Amino acid sequence: MSTEVVYVLAASAVFGAGVYGLIVANHLMRKLLALNVMSSAVFVTMLTVAGTTPEGPDPVAQALVLTGIVIAVAATAFALALLVRLVQETGLVSLRAKDDDGA
Amino acid sequence: MTVGVVVDMMLGLALVALSLRVVTGGSLFRDIVLFILFGLLVALSWARLGAPDLALAEAAIGAGLTGALMLMAYRSIGADTEERPVRRRPGVALVVAVLTGSLVAVIGLAALGIERVPDAAGDAVLEALPGTGLGNAVTGVLLVFRGLDTMLEMAVLLVALLGAWTVLGDARPGRVHRVDRRTPLVGSLLTVVAPITLLVAVHLLLAGTDAPGGAFQACAVLTGCGVLMVLTGTLRPTAVAGFATRLLVVAGLAAFVLVGAGAGFVGHAPMTLTGTWAVYLIETAMMLSIALTMTLLFARARGLRGEGS
Repeated sequence: MSTEVVYVLAASAVFGAGVYGLIVANHLMRKLLALNVMSSAVFVTMLTVAGTTPEGPDPVAQALVLTGIVIAVAATAFALALLVRLVQETGLVSLRAKDDDGA
Repeated sequence: MTVGVVVDMMLGLALVALSLRVVTGGSLFRDIVLFILFGLLVALSWARLGAPDLALAEAAIGAGLTGALMLMAYRSIGADTEERPVRRRPGVALVVAVLTGSLVAVIGLAALGIERVPDAAGDAVLEALPGTGLGNAVTGVLLVFRGLDTMLEMAVLLVALLGAWTVLGDARPGRVHRVDRRTPLVGSLLTVVAPITLLVAVHLLLAGTDAPGGAFQACAVLTGCGVLMVLTGTLRPTAVAGFATRLLVVAGLAAFVLVGAGAGFVGHAPMTLTGTWAVYLIETAMMLSIALTMTLLFARARGLRGEGS
């Protein structure tokens, strides 16, 4: 079993865990954590399946993933700003309406 | 089976176990800390896969910066908003998760089996790299071969900051719990660590042309310095963006556009970089822009000012 196969399998399981968290979690910040976990899994899969050149992993894939990492943190920062505003306005940390809580 | 593969398997298992804890755990604070640990292990995986540029970026941005942003937001929404236990049944979600995970595994394993085509983009990059004067292929792709992507990435960062500013509304900038700088540890942390981070950032930027490093890694280190200065009260968040702040925030995008347009005027194809100086210029502007953008996003502020002013 080669290094690449190990990481593809691990990344798949991590992606699955992320999907599970995204669906099940109540707290929006935990949903964000799950999304970030999923993006890490996608990045690892992208790099491993892109193949290698004599000088290591494909440089185009590396640059794409590097761009992705920075975009992911920017999107996370924006999402956190939205979350903080949501809490200030409604006092809720999940997307359920207040009426649903009693049900 | 070599020792390396055993290390890979241990790392892979740790990644899976940590990700499961992060998405299902009971204490949000603990799980944010575990997420930072997860990011550091991902960085180790990048190193194992032979991608040191990504390892540096993941450790600094994916783990460090995301973790700092999460912890900051966690504190401002208050610990009393701890989530209640999930009431819905997780059975369906588990099935969906296993199915999507298996799909990723099938796609990944199938793709690993494909023969690499002889004229793939990566090989073309390595072939054309000596003509650019750069030694680091990743920097070459980011700035020369796929410079347009990186330029638009700067635009995305700008939009994220503008979005956060809009959402911020009229709210005062988030109050930062300040640490007393007269305590010996914090004082020496600032006077010793802050200059060193600056030095490391500049080194990473300059090294990035030939060795692992570059604008993104440098900006992450610089952001770390900014976060430290916000936390110790050396930089105070303000509610108004000054002229210098606005200028610095768009500097990265502006440098890209101006250098690209300038090349068009002097007879080159538009949006080409005419020399290594252009790479350094754009990377420096990018580093300053991203570091300031990230520090502002961290402090949830429109501007920063020094303590004395």
